[in-house]
Amino acid sequence: MAQVLDVRTLPPPEPLERVLDALTALPNGGRLWVLHRREPFPLYDMLQTMGYSWRVRGREGHFEILIWDSGAPPTRAELSWNPPC
Amino acid sequence: MLNTAGLRLDQAPPLTVPFAFFLGAPPFAVAAGLLLAWQGEGALAARWTPAALALAHLIALGFLSQILCGALLQLPPVLAGAPVPRVVPVGRAAQALLATGTALLCVGLALGWGLALGVGALGAAAGLTLLAGAVAVALSRGRGSVDTRRAMGLGLGALAVTVVLGLMLSAALLGWVRLPGLPGWVDLHLGWGLLGWAGLILMGVGYQVVPMFHVTPAYPGWLRSWSAPLAAGGLVAATVLTLAGQAQRATWGLGLVAACFAVFALTTLDRQRRRERPILDATLLHWRLAMACVLAAVLLWFTGGRAETIGVLLLVGVGVGLPSGMLFKIMPFLSWFHLQQRQLAARRFDLRIPHMHAFIPERRARIHWGLHLVALGLLVAATLAPGRGLAPLAGLALALSAGYLGLLLIGCYLRYRALSRRF
Repeated sequence: MAQVLDVRTLPPPEPLERVLDALTALPNGGRLWVLHRREPFPLYDMLQTMGYSWRVRGREGHFEILIWDSGAPPTRAELSWNPPC
Repeated sequence: MLNTAGLRLDQAPPLTVPFAFFLGAPPFAVAAGLLLAWQGEGALAARWTPAALALAHLIALGFLSQILCGALLQLPPVLAGAPVPRVVPVGRAAQALLATGTALLCVGLALGWGLALGVGALGAAAGLTLLAGAVAVALSRGRGSVDTRRAMGLGLGALAVTVVLGLMLSAALLGWVRLPGLPGWVDLHLGWGLLGWAGLILMGVGYQVVPMFHVTPAYPGWLRSWSAPLAAGGLVAATVLTLAGQAQRATWGLGLVAACFAVFALTTLDRQRRRERPILDATLLHWRLAMACVLAAVLLWFTGGRAETIGVLLLVGVGVGLPSGMLFKIMPFLSWFHLQQRQLAARRFDLRIPHMHAFIPERRARIHWGLHLVALGLLVAATLAPGRGLAPLAGLALALSAGYLGLLLIGCYLRYRALSRRF
């Protein structure tokens, strides 16, 4: 089951703080969808170092980022899922 | 839009460089408060008293300019992707010159010691020039938000004019040169310093941090493009008219500047009213109070109100309040960000970094805002109702508020230092 985290109305660095908290609590093989109003470039550097992968889609004002453990890639169905907004 | 992706340790200065400026500022505001408590009513009786001149410079140079300098060393790499060259030696030397120079200048102004005044003015001027030069180089090499870089560049230009005018006025006070129409020159020095240097930098920073930290709509493009150049144009017009011996007409130029800041203040209040999260934190309270002070000062200026009241509203209401509120965000943010980077570099993901709000608890920040409000209210009342014995009380309230601010900032730094030792 994917977890959805909406950080669109939070000022920096709260989105980053919430994502890192959520990743700590994420079970093995779990997926995290993040809804963000902009592309969180600083997060990508951290995810890479921490051993996570991600896929981003959307436009300015609304981005959807799927994050997973690099050792357990998502299925096509998981990638195409639309998180509730 | 602010590009936090550009905020990297290899470009940003070591944390201790901007923090030294931020931590060095509150003692000057405490000194201003104690000076007022000591001198009492006389200090606010007129803007020309030695104590009033010392008070104004303790706050404008010691507090406000020191914080702006610290912020300017930090901002170009963040906003423009361009680090300030030789940032550590430049920062250390500029701060030593500015802090020592300001202390000497204020002693010279308050006590009439010519040598201290002259050496202090030269020291502060050297510190500000060194820093402004280094930041100007960084901005010229930068990219990113044109509006903010333009406002900052104009702010640095205004600082250069302020420094030259300040040196001229010091020379006149020491009897080295004659300046006919001295009050007009003082108005120009004050206008370029407070409205140009501080006003334009705060405006440029506001365009970025208000939408970012309070999640508001962006400022309108026309305002970002035109407000800073128009305000600078007004200052140039006032200067030219004063030089042409038409000091009365110079007020038209200052009126244009006042109108620009009034529009900026009204737009800021409107943007903040339209923020996405209806949370009222200490930073937002400081912004609102400072913008209300801008509007009150503009109203008083257009209606011929007392210069001392306008000075208190701008110097303390805006010059002390707004940087204080911004530091409540900036210092925890930088502490958190540097710790995050250290954690990444050490790959110590087992250690948790506290959230940004833990570095300066919101409740204490609000207590500081309350103390600041009381101090500001007493200061304004002291200028409006002289002879009631309010000035010493206002001075003590200002010293208490600034002292508490200093303790909160030191607490933030000590927390950062304790956590950074874990990596």
